[in-house]
Amino acid sequence: MAYHDDLIEQAIFLSQINLPQEPKQVDLRRAVSAAYYGLFHLLTTEAAQNWKHASQRDRFARLFDHGRMKTCSSKFVSRPLPVNPAEVPVAEDMRLVADSFVKLQQARHTADYDNSKVWSRTQVYETIALAEDAKAAWLRIREEELAQEYLLDLMGGRQ
Amino acid sequence: MILPRGVAQPTELVKHLNALAPFPPGVANWRYTVDNDWSGDPAIFFWITLSDEAARPSVLSQNSRRLMDYITLRLDPVGQWGLIPYFNFRSQSEQATLREEVFG
Repeated sequence: MAYHDDLIEQAIFLSQINLPQEPKQVDLRRAVSAAYYGLFHLLTTEAAQNWKHASQRDRFARLFDHGRMKTCSSKFVSRPLPVNPAEVPVAEDMRLVADSFVKLQQARHTADYDNSKVWSRTQVYETIALAEDAKAAWLRIREEELAQEYLLDLMGGRQ
Repeated sequence: MILPRGVAQPTELVKHLNALAPFPPGVANWRYTVDNDWSGDPAIFFWITLSDEAARPSVLSQNSRRLMDYITLRLDPVGQWGLIPYFNFRSQSEQATLREEVFG
């Protein structure tokens, strides 16, 4: 199983620890973080696949910056849908991926750094669902021109 | 410095937020806060308490997606107000235990 899939599996596992008793906040926080990194690593790994030299792909994937990826994703969310109805499904999936990335990143930041925030299982389940839905949408469109443009922009080349 | 419309015209924003009610079935309570997100971008945070029925794991994703679409389509937080929307959901029974003020 790919690393990004393992991360989402780990998020699910952590969210269900101690059921049906009350969860520990540490498990819920780590679950949120894992869900974000599941999508993060899916996208950076996909971008790295376009790098010709396989031996350099892990290094390439480390070039991505969380802030720049958020800026790029926010811009994709704001784009109007295409006029051509045939292009709408791909654009909608692309928007779902970008929007989920922004939301997951904020959730991860809160989970990792804001100790005043109390998490519930419902919040965490919803966060994991965002990551799963984004992954499914990405797998539908990954070869599309728009998706490849997104990967390129995630590098931060067009701010 | 140019403020996003949602920050510069809070009264207008509140009017539009109030017009979102009544919410679709399954929403027990909802609140919002306007603040910056982690990277300093203006944002609106929705704190939505769902009925226990609507928050069941088997239907949660479907219900939360429906609510996010409901709010996003009617309010257009990014396009009309310059605010990135973030959504937080919990069930009524969770909120009864956790009693977090932001959820009301």
